[in-house]
Amino acid sequence: MREPILKVNNLHYSYGTGNPALKGISVNIYKGEKIAVIGSNGSGKSTFFLNANGVLKADHGEICYQGRVINKKNLKELRKNIGIVFQDADNQIIASTVMAEVGFGPMNLKLPREEVLRRVDEALTYMNILDFKDRPPHYLSGGEKKRVTIADIIAMKSEVIIFDEPTAALDPLNAQMLEEVLVKLGQEGKTMLISTHDVDFAYRWAERAIVFDRGRIIADGTPLEIFKNREILKQANLKRPAMLDVYEMLVEKKMIKNNDDYPTSPEELKVLLEKQFTCS
Amino acid sequence: MENSSAKRLCFARTNEKSNNSHYPNKHHHQIGHKHGEGSAIDYYAYASKIRGWNPSFKVVFSVLTLLLCIVLNNPLVSLAVIVSMAYLTVIKGGLPLRAYLSVLLIPITFIILGTVAIGIDFSSQPIGPFNFSLGSGYLYTSVAKLKEMVFLMLKVFGAISAMFMMTLSTPSSEIIEVLRKAHVPKLIIELMNLIYRYIFILLDVFNTMRNSADSRQGYCDFKTSCVTFGSVASNMLVLSLKKANAYYTAMEARGYEGELLFLEDEKPFQINQVIYPVGFIFFLLLLWYITK
Repeated sequence: MREPILKVNNLHYSYGTGNPALKGISVNIYKGEKIAVIGSNGSGKSTFFLNANGVLKADHGEICYQGRVINKKNLKELRKNIGIVFQDADNQIIASTVMAEVGFGPMNLKLPREEVLRRVDEALTYMNILDFKDRPPHYLSGGEKKRVTIADIIAMKSEVIIFDEPTAALDPLNAQMLEEVLVKLGQEGKTMLISTHDVDFAYRWAERAIVFDRGRIIADGTPLEIFKNREILKQANLKRPAMLDVYEMLVEKKMIKNNDDYPTSPEELKVLLEKQFTCS
Repeated sequence: MENSSAKRLCFARTNEKSNNSHYPNKHHHQIGHKHGEGSAIDYYAYASKIRGWNPSFKVVFSVLTLLLCIVLNNPLVSLAVIVSMAYLTVIKGGLPLRAYLSVLLIPITFIILGTVAIGIDFSSQPIGPFNFSLGSGYLYTSVAKLKEMVFLMLKVFGAISAMFMMTLSTPSSEIIEVLRKAHVPKLIIELMNLIYRYIFILLDVFNTMRNSADSRQGYCDFKTSCVTFGSVASNMLVLSLKKANAYYTAMEARGYEGELLFLEDEKPFQINQVIYPVGFIFFLLLLWYITK
């Protein structure tokens, strides 16, 4: 059995108003996993993320990072290794030039200046925004700001990257760019957690899906298992991914044979159709 | 040179995509003011061709020029400063002349209003070489007084154009960095940084709220406008508190521990950038010495 990179055990959290936001979350996250965190608004996804990063301190429960229980002393370790890309880029960008912004995290890690500069260049090249280096954030478009916020986290070289609804407020082109970046990061073995309302994206991208509902995890499994389970979908108010519906309809109408090879994107469906029709 | 102008073009293009309240209207050819002129200065600073010059050097140079302009108190020196600063900003910095005049128009109004009171006086007797009856009294002036007025205007104008040379070519973040190097207290530096970033965020929020209120007839008459303005203002307060909270969370998530650490670009200090200004300052001193 692999050792989980992040182990959350019976986590409880309530905001100052007394309403519990998390009611006993337990989850193990392994290195290199691509996890979609789904659930309706106010189901506790963002609260969970902030707890996982150590910004919010849990009322009960413990978090282990690579086998070490997180306490006040090694909290910094947790923040260094778990980066969050926030939903609203304007709430994350703090500095008045892109370079200073991306350098903010590494500077807080107290790295030497040369190392910070190297990391900033690397992160900006990675996100393809090296030209924006000296530009102030208020002259960037929404998609460009999003890239800057991702570069922020890449520059910190976090092991686990959390994206809080990254596709919200992005145009299709920028959303596609984001997905390419996610695939690229996945290939490099980064562990990623993404909260999203886009079930098609979750179905297509994730290896594992965790469903939140009113402060609890109600399901944890492969996206296919979860999206096939109508009870869970109903409880969490989720829609089924279009590709799953299309596939099942095609099988139902005997258009294609069911061999449990579920396509997650139109391209995959095309390959499947071509395969089946050239065979028969 | 070519590279930098290409960069600028690209800059202007991407800028178009972002919020259009933040940059001066492209078809805005007349000299005058529209909303957001304050942030236009910020935009010009980023687009300036002499932005790459060492910021500390620019700040020191412009402050020194300003001081000389005031201390030497010589109209020829003032004139030399006005012309050379305009040259630096418009020709070297690549700022359109109209934009420069438009920015200068703000202080010009104050300068004229302020200096007229010195040049022209009021008396009950018809005194002085030039006087003008107002019925119960006289407005009077003299050549000496007018001369004093014009010289004062030139002096103030020279000082202002020296300051504008700096603000129109150095983005605020770089000026703040220079102040940090000059050992201005950390607290003030951090506040300046945050305020600068916040101005644009709050402007954005304000514009969105104003537009949405406007689209619902929130500004249809004077009374409604006042009420709307009040609600927008109180909403801004609540929102800015919320934003501050969100900001703090995001900063903490990236390891903020009570001290804002920003990475700043080191701009090389070129020796030929120093020769000309030093020469210029000597020229001003010489000019003053000859004509005093």
